[in-house]
Amino acid sequence: MGRRKPMGGDPLSHLPHGPSFRFIDRILEYVPGERVVALKNVTFGEPYMPGHLPGSPSMPGAYLLEAMTQTAGILLSAGSPAYLARVRDVRAGRAVVPGDRLTIEANLLQGFGSLHRCEVKAMVDGNITCHAEIVLSAGSKQ
Amino acid sequence: MDPTKQKIRDILSVRLKLSTAVAKWGDDDPLFGPNGLGLDSIDALELVLGLQKEFGVTIEDQAMAVKVMASINTIAEFVHAHGKA
Repeated sequence: MGRRKPMGGDPLSHLPHGPSFRFIDRILEYVPGERVVALKNVTFGEPYMPGHLPGSPSMPGAYLLEAMTQTAGILLSAGSPAYLARVRDVRAGRAVVPGDRLTIEANLLQGFGSLHRCEVKAMVDGNITCHAEIVLSAGSKQ
Repeated sequence: MDPTKQKIRDILSVRLKLSTAVAKWGDDDPLFGPNGLGLDSIDALELVLGLQKEFGVTIEDQAMAVKVMASINTIAEFVHAHGKA
């Protein structure tokens, strides 16, 4: 097991995404090649909130999955693009709503060539709101 | 049929959803490549995980996978040598 340590510099620089398509705010914990914990403070100011859904705002499940995928992507080498290759065993819990402090934990289960299999959990107040196994492909689209 | 080979066929049928193709596939027929079952690298990972779960064998990298997962017979030989079949 690697040693836990805070990530230096701008942690989000590991992501190839521009600020307008980043679904995590900061990294809380980072063990290179093993584990990463990210934070997303979900607010009503998210551009999609007014439309999803009027009168009952919540984070779309697809965006939650994107946030989980971005978190897992932090585990891959900095600067190299990673592509979503497979998502399985998705289990969703309660909706993520404005005001939630969303914590996303990704653990690398296995590397196999360019493929990286991760277990990813999204939690609010310690309760799992979504769990999935995500496979990322580093450096090439499948 | 060798129960190990049947379990390998079950993995291919269920985990990789290839039941129709696998039923027609010979034990020596190639699984990958232009004359194979049309499997890609994600299928290879899925097969590795299935073999690990079913037989307790570890295939560490793609170079090893190419040799071990050439056919149902080569997988069975590997499992007989290293697994708990």
